[in-house]
Formats: sequence, structure tokens, C-alpha cells
Amino acid sequence: MSVEVRIPTILRKHTGGARAVEAKGSTVREVIDQLDRDHPGLRAAILAEDGDMHRFINIYLNDEDVRFSGELETPVSDGDVVSILPAVAGGAAGG
Amino acid sequence: MATQLIEHAQAEYPKEACGIIGGPPGEAVKVYRLTNVDPDPVMRYNADPKELKRVTDDIYDRDWDVVAIYHSHTHSPAFPSPTDVERAFYPEASYVLVSLMDRQRPDLRAFRIIEGEISEMDVAPRNDGQGRS
Repeated sequence: MSVEVRIPTILRKHTGGARAVEAKGSTVREVIDQLDRDHPGLRAAILAEDGDMHRFINIYLNDEDVRFSGELETPVSDGDVVSILPAVAGGAAGG
Repeated sequence: MATQLIEHAQAEYPKEACGIIGGPPGEAVKVYRLTNVDPDPVMRYNADPKELKRVTDDIYDRDWDVVAIYHSHTHSPAFPSPTDVERAFYPEASYVLVSLMDRQRPDLRAFRIIEGEISEMDVAPRNDGQGRS
């Protein structure tokens, strides 16, 4: 399955500045693994240290947040769009 | 535009308000309000991921940038907290803070936060006189 992956500005240093790249895989995790082979460093930037989803990095398959559809094991289809989108988060409190 | 951000902050008080300003690079054109879904919304913000996707798609489709990310501090000054710095994932954006520590006299300041470094930006007074306050 070939999908388009949209890359946020903060991670474009890994893609030579490209806003979107192609990747293959049958699940979101496989797509990210392929991304990391093509653009080393991307997986560590997208996922948490334990290899699961990072609390402040959202991943969407088309319009759906994959947290609600199987997280990294969510299956992808040809022509899907995977979007990596960091959280808009912060606040006055520490920690 | 500062007025729109302050109005949003006042409407959400005592919770922190948050949102995005989109436009061509360096040009603040459109304010997108976002819902703060953090479990502790008085002290933190986390924009609703579904709304965030919708807004950033709109910005992407227009070939715009996330020009700024704004939020309010309801009990502290308009300066990035350690949490703000730690979660500043948009180096291309200005971070605009509205303080309602004194609700009658809101303060608004803008910063860049890049790799943990904070630098303040000038917020030019607007022609309509609705600049910094």
C-alpha cells in the first residue's frame, strides 16, 4: 500500500524540507518504519521511546485520529493520507 | 487581531483559551479558535486534536502557514512557562500569550520558541489602535 505522509515543519529537516512524502506499508506502524528507512531519525521523532504513540504527537489516517482506531496497528489502504501533527499544548502549570 | 485573541481569552476565563493564526508566511490573516481539552484547563491547554486537524488542513489547502499559536494565562504573566517551552512543537510559529492576571488590563506578548530558546517579538500597534492592550 502506498500512502502520502504529511510532515510537520518541525520534522522536515528529516525529509529535505518536503511537506509530504510517499511511504509503503499495511499499517501505520509499517508506514512509519518505512519512513524511517527513507528518512533516518523520523521514527524516533514521531514515536515515544517505548515505540508506542507519543503523548503530544497526533497521527491521523485521513481525517481520523488513530488513537481511536487501533493506534499504530491501524490498517492503511492505497491512496490514504497519514498526517503527523504535533499537539498544540502548553500552559501555565509546570510539568 | 489582538482584540480577537483577548476576547477569546476573556470568554474562556478562568480556563486557558487556545488557537491558531493562519496566513501566508509571516502574515497573520485568520484566527482559528480551538477547544482546550486538557483535563486541567485552568492551568494547561491542549487543543482538541480533531479540531486541530481540521484547522491545519484548511491552512495546508490554502498553502498557508501556522503563523502563530496563541493561548492565555489566567493567573500568570504573558511569558512562556516551562511547559510552554517544552511543548513548543511549531518552530515556524510565533507564540502569542494573553495574560488575564489583571482582567481589566489584559497583556499580550509574542515570542519565538526554538529548541528551548525564547526570544520576544515586537507586537506592532495596529492602525486601529488595538495593539498591545
